[in-house]
Amino acid sequence: MLNQYFGDYITVAVFMAVGAGLVGGAVIASRMLAPSRPGGFKEIAYESGIEPVGGGWNQSHIRYYIFALLFLIFDVEAVFIFPWAIRLDFFTELGNGFLILWEMVAFIVILVLGLVYAVRKGVLRWE
Amino acid sequence: MTIAQFVILGTALFSIGLYGVITRRNAVLVLASVEVMLAAVNINLVAFDVYLADQLYAGQIFTLFIIAVAAAEVGIGLAIVLMIFRNRHDADVDELDLMRY
Amino acid sequence: MIDYHALAPELILAVTVLAVLVTDLVVRSKVWVAVVALVGLFAAFVPILTLAFCEPLVGCTEVTRTMFLGSYVVDSYALVLKGLFIGTAFVAVLLSVDYIESDRYYEGEYFFLLLSAALGAVVMSSARDFVSIVVALELVSGPGFLLAGWRKADERSNEAALKFFISGVLALALLMFGVSLVYGLTGTQQFDQLAAASVQFVDLPLFTIGVLFILVGFGFKVSAVPFHYWTPDTYQGSPTPVTAWLAVGSKTAGFVGLLSIAFIAFPAMRDVWGPILWVVAAVTMVVGNVVAIKQTNIVRLLGYSSIAHAGFILAPFAAMAGASDAAMSQAFYAAVAYLLIYAVMNLGAFGVVIAGLSKVESAELTDWSGLFRHSPGLAVLLAGFFFSLAGIPPLAGWFAKLAMFQATIGSGTPWGYSIAVIAVLNSVVAIYYYAKPVKSAFFDEVPEGVSAAATPSVASPALKLALGLSIAGVVLLGIFPGLVAQLSRYTSEIIAAIF
Repeated sequence: MLNQYFGDYITVAVFMAVGAGLVGGAVIASRMLAPSRPGGFKEIAYESGIEPVGGGWNQSHIRYYIFALLFLIFDVEAVFIFPWAIRLDFFTELGNGFLILWEMVAFIVILVLGLVYAVRKGVLRWE
Repeated sequence: MTIAQFVILGTALFSIGLYGVITRRNAVLVLASVEVMLAAVNINLVAFDVYLADQLYAGQIFTLFIIAVAAAEVGIGLAIVLMIFRNRHDADVDELDLMRY
Repeated sequence: MIDYHALAPELILAVTVLAVLVTDLVVRSKVWVAVVALVGLFAAFVPILTLAFCEPLVGCTEVTRTMFLGSYVVDSYALVLKGLFIGTAFVAVLLSVDYIESDRYYEGEYFFLLLSAALGAVVMSSARDFVSIVVALELVSGPGFLLAGWRKADERSNEAALKFFISGVLALALLMFGVSLVYGLTGTQQFDQLAAASVQFVDLPLFTIGVLFILVGFGFKVSAVPFHYWTPDTYQGSPTPVTAWLAVGSKTAGFVGLLSIAFIAFPAMRDVWGPILWVVAAVTMVVGNVVAIKQTNIVRLLGYSSIAHAGFILAPFAAMAGASDAAMSQAFYAAVAYLLIYAVMNLGAFGVVIAGLSKVESAELTDWSGLFRHSPGLAVLLAGFFFSLAGIPPLAGWFAKLAMFQATIGSGTPWGYSIAVIAVLNSVVAIYYYAKPVKSAFFDEVPEGVSAAATPSVASPALKLALGLSIAGVVLLGIFPGLVAQLSRYTSEIIAAIF
């Protein structure tokens, strides 16, 4: 029993050692094999290959936050759709699948109405 | 892992958040501290749900609702902070003292 | 299957909320937004009547309808309070119409937010598990934060919104932490199961801590004293019609949640929450009344008065440690009766203040003296609603206090007798600060610089209707005190059924 208990931990320890060895080995190997020529473009911040504009502590435009807020709210609403999608089968077997389907349709219609409102009020215009 | 470890983690996180709400002066950081408190509640609820093997998954469903409520709070809170920032050009809670006894 | 009749008020309100948004998008004249809101509220009131009187109408056997495994219950208690919330929202919309129109922030969102908050309050009345309570509380609070900051360029309004917001979200976080502990120990979130399960956890400290956190969360919402600091500032800084909604609708919603939790979910814990609420009620009454004496701003005065009334409403809760089941039922009745009367008379008082503000153009009490000389009608109404708030005998407020004293003394516990003594002393103090502005409105000279005497009455039809409804409510409850007693006894049958 106790051996089994420690045995599990030995497995974990071996995995950690192997993992650390692989990562460390790769880093050391690349350090030894790669040529080192610092300077130039290598010093600047990486922005998906595009030349960066301004410094790293640039302030974002205030409009960015409004977009971020709208994104956040709609993004989080998706959390309700996943459990619904998983349980839809179960309700279909019970015979009230359509009721559950329409409930989600109503939910999404409300969200879309909110988006339409935001668009009509000009919140999504970047001017 | 026992349930106590999760509850201690949740309580510690909750206390950190509460400390932040009380001591922080910047409204955005107060808001962030409240989010930490809600995260602690989520840890507690999920841990209890698994520990109790709840047939109704009440704890997990509650967590989903708290995530949505927290997002709504962030939306409202940042909107209010932005509004104040436009008028005053800072978000220091202590300097909001137009009204006193 | 889903009982659509029982859910009809909520569904109609939800559709109205969306209709208000759409109306705001398609209609140029924004008055129609308010009209849609009023029609929707009126329509939502109809199913409440059909549900309450369903026996003669459709021949149902009982009013109580339980839905979603007991998480959502429509019973007489829920119906009376839903009616109250819809009525409050109706009057609040009427009070807002002119105010919003005279402002430069005239947007349809105002009514959208107000109706969303009303929907939250209506859901709160039926919520019988923690998820529903928390969602309802957030739906009441969230729009409230935004409404408090409605005057975007006014720094006082900004400050009101931020103070309200920070205390509100802190309260919600504390409440939910308490809920998580209670859930972890009992394994359930539904009130009927909690009522049964809590008996075996009464002595467990962790469970007590969980219940305390929940009480603290609601303490913020009802502005009970250690958690009241945001109230006067928010009330003063918000647009006055919003203050009327916050002081009546939002606060009553908090009390409904507190009632459901204390009397329906944790009646077995009364020895734990009773003494704590005793201290809270006593301190709330004293602080609210004493600080109100020194106020010079009429809206701030009403803010402290609403804190003091929160203490009076908590008094029946405070008497419950060691009380019998019959006393519990009596206290529940007293709290509901007080809430009904408080809502009606406070809406009336705010209506008078809003009408007066458009005339006097100052909230300072000194500028309100001599009100009787230039607008006698307004001065008489001010006297009526303020004396009712003070609890002077022939008016409705008196019956609220009477029910409260019956419940506290009737509990027969030392807690009950002592809180009753504190309440009597505070009622006397309250008469002083309510009578002072009324006296100066009738007998003092109009101060210099107040040109109200020249301007004719500018109260609009909407404001007149709002005032008329409040007057009708106070007179109805004053002349027929049996009505409110009937309504509240009707609700306390629910509690009697639990024990």
